[in-house]
Amino acid sequence: MSDLEAYRLKARAWLESVAPTFGRAAQAGLPEAQHLALGRRYQRARFDAGFAGINWDTAFGGQGLSPLHKLIFEQEEMPFGMPMGYFGVSLGISVPVVMRFAQDREWARERVLAALRGDEIWCQLFSEPSGGSDLAGVRTRAEPDGNGWKLNGQKLWTTFAQHSDYGVIIARNDPAVPKHKGLTFFWVDMRSPGVTVRPIRLAAAGHDHVNEVFFDNVGLTDGQRLSPVGSGFATAMATLMIERYSASDPAGFGPSIDTFAALAREVEVNGRPAIEDGRVRSALARGYAMRAGLEAITTRAMKMMAAGMEPGPEGSLNKLVSVRSRQKLSELAIDLMGTLGLAWDQHASSKDDWVASWLAAPTGRIAGGADEMLLNTIAEKILGLPQDHRPDKGVPFNQIPA
Amino acid sequence: MSIVHTGEQQAIASESRRVLDARTDKVRLLGLLQGIGEYDRPFWDTAVGQGWTGLAVPEAHGGLGLGLIELGLVAQATGAVTAGAPFLTTNHGAACALLAGDDAALQARWLPGIAAGEAVGAVAFAEGAVLPAMPRTELVDGRLFGVKTGVTAGLRADFAVVWARRDGKPALALADIAGISRRPIDSFDNSRLFADLVFSDTPATLLAEGDAARIMALDILARMAVITAHEQVGGAEALLFVARDYANTRKAFGQPIGAFQSVKHRIAELYGLVEIARANCIHAAALADDPGGQPDFLKAAAAARLAATEAYDTAARDCVQIHGGIGVTWEAGLHLHMRRARSLAIEQGNMLFWEDLLAAELSGVSA
Ligand SMILES: Cc1cc2nc3c(=O)[nH]c(=O)nc-3n(C[C@H](O)[C@H](O)[C@H](O)COP(=O)(O)OP(=O)(O)OC[C@H]3O[C@@H](n4cnc5c(N)ncnc54)[C@H](O)[C@@H]3O)c2cc1C
Repeated sequence: MSDLEAYRLKARAWLESVAPTFGRAAQAGLPEAQHLALGRRYQRARFDAGFAGINWDTAFGGQGLSPLHKLIFEQEEMPFGMPMGYFGVSLGISVPVVMRFAQDREWARERVLAALRGDEIWCQLFSEPSGGSDLAGVRTRAEPDGNGWKLNGQKLWTTFAQHSDYGVIIARNDPAVPKHKGLTFFWVDMRSPGVTVRPIRLAAAGHDHVNEVFFDNVGLTDGQRLSPVGSGFATAMATLMIERYSASDPAGFGPSIDTFAALAREVEVNGRPAIEDGRVRSALARGYAMRAGLEAITTRAMKMMAAGMEPGPEGSLNKLVSVRSRQKLSELAIDLMGTLGLAWDQHASSKDDWVASWLAAPTGRIAGGADEMLLNTIAEKILGLPQDHRPDKGVPFNQIPA
Repeated sequence: MSIVHTGEQQAIASESRRVLDARTDKVRLLGLLQGIGEYDRPFWDTAVGQGWTGLAVPEAHGGLGLGLIELGLVAQATGAVTAGAPFLTTNHGAACALLAGDDAALQARWLPGIAAGEAVGAVAFAEGAVLPAMPRTELVDGRLFGVKTGVTAGLRADFAVVWARRDGKPALALADIAGISRRPIDSFDNSRLFADLVFSDTPATLLAEGDAARIMALDILARMAVITAHEQVGGAEALLFVARDYANTRKAFGQPIGAFQSVKHRIAELYGLVEIARANCIHAAALADDPGGQPDFLKAAAAARLAATEAYDTAARDCVQIHGGIGVTWEAGLHLHMRRARSLAIEQGNMLFWEDLLAAELSGVSA
């Protein structure tokens, strides 16, 4: 047995051992505060068992293993539905930036450890009311103030800002230069005076988790700067590559194709099992073919990583293709149920309930890069097609029509 | 399971691509569209010279003893250039039937010829539908009677593996067809050499019957479908690059047309279809070559086939569209791919067949 297979079995055994304490059943019906507390205990248990920061430097409390080990753990963890959502942005995006770029290394080490233990949570303050896709268009200002900086503006869609101790933020330090050039990257203490967090309710049920965040003369020291002045955009792009491998789900984080097949056997069309209907068979078969392809892409990428090779860019198809397909399959599943499909259980999980999956699917097509932006990235970065026409190119930010 | 190709396999892929790029002549292929019974001899000479004909034939029968992974990579290269002869696929199907049929005399008669690229076998299963539950073609006292329709390579084949009925049960039989009557089909893709084969008191050898014959026929069809899926991926990928290159150079309204998102996103979507189909193909070929892969092979073959048909059809449609008027001309030759996308979509079973088969595998309920 290979080292990686042994690791997979070890991870699975541990997950099974803690599933009664943290798994789906243990979370059922918990109010948010208790659910968060359970999540923190789970993260702590992961840390204590040596399954946190799997591919991070041991000097920062990590395990010093490969990204492949991390992927394997995430693949094993996914079916259990563990309460780890609170730490997704924190450990997947924000903390790795702090670990790499924070100026005070000892302070960074303390933060990373606290985050790995689930004691502290970090948010990512990028998107704003004026735009999310156009990240370089942010308007929140960072103005020099004595030896430090002063933040003013508004962020939007900030996941778990209400639970966050800290955030990483991108702000405009110079509006008189073209938009990509006048940005700087900082970390911010979310308990600072002048920070206000307000929840935003989403159409899909579940605990509310996005917010708008206001900055009103929030003071920052220059030590909170994570990029050279004016180089925030490049740093932000680089940080997205730090944790570029994370577990994907060919079902787009919706119900499995087997769940669809089971439904099609149960419900009837024209007095016969729906699975005998050609339209349903076609959707089942094509849904499977698409998911099997994504799964094969992932398996091949992992084998390449195990062989010390860099996986191909086709892994970037996962979110685009799988979530879109989940959205359509969920619509069809609700259709098949007919009037029996009208019920809405606000606490059901997107992984096994078609209505929950359908209601939450649009989020998956927007958050973390909208479909259209992903297509642009594939076209430009992988295929070498030209950029769109951009009227704001090279224009000083303060002269771009709002 | 999926795999990462070895260095040798990558070499087969790039070398077959290089050789075919150098030796394929579009004008010659366009000419073949207008003749019945003609195939691209320089292509077949190349296949023989490069040893592709023996790639997946066991060493004991004069081949190299490799498998569907390698043959698939060559098929991908042939698909990219819309190669002008179908024999690599049909001969693999015929060879599988010979090996599964376990008749030493027949194997000795045909396999070395297949490996050397001298003999051509056809797989004659279809009667309209690709694999009718109970074919009308009948095997009586070692003689075949009936008509097999639209048989690929039917105008050139020396022998055929025939899906027939015998005593009310399905059967697989092998017949030397040198003397039989063939009705040529004037098709939209003539180098596939489609013909109806008319069996009338034609001597044939029984290879299998009943459930064993059905399982064998399905396995042969699935293996051919995986080769074809590789060909489709090769074709789709070639079109993806043609579309990309054209979109980067053709200008309208003061910019390359590739800067318009309706063009750019179409091409990005093609990339997705091609990569999903390719991954399914690699997975299916790896299962076929793995002794333990049998239980999942049919599902994987169906997935590869569906994904590849969708990729190639869409690529053909969109690539022509992206070219504007020049795309629909005879000389530009994009229609070579358009035609091939359709002929390959029908050979080895259409979308409906594979959707139903896959749905049955996934749900346990047959159509
Ligand atoms: C649930 C949720 C959680 C989120 N969490 C966070 C978070 O923690 N931190 C954070 O910073 N952000 C977060 N986001 C924000 C997210 O990144 C943005 O919503 C996303 O980038 C899209 O930006 P937007 O909403 O401003 O839409 P817009 O950018 O205004 O886009 C609107 C539409 O226009 C299209 N569009 C935009 N530009 C182009 C273009 N060039 N070509 C073609 N089409 C285009 C988009 O694809 C989209 O369909 C979250 C969003 C959601 C929904």
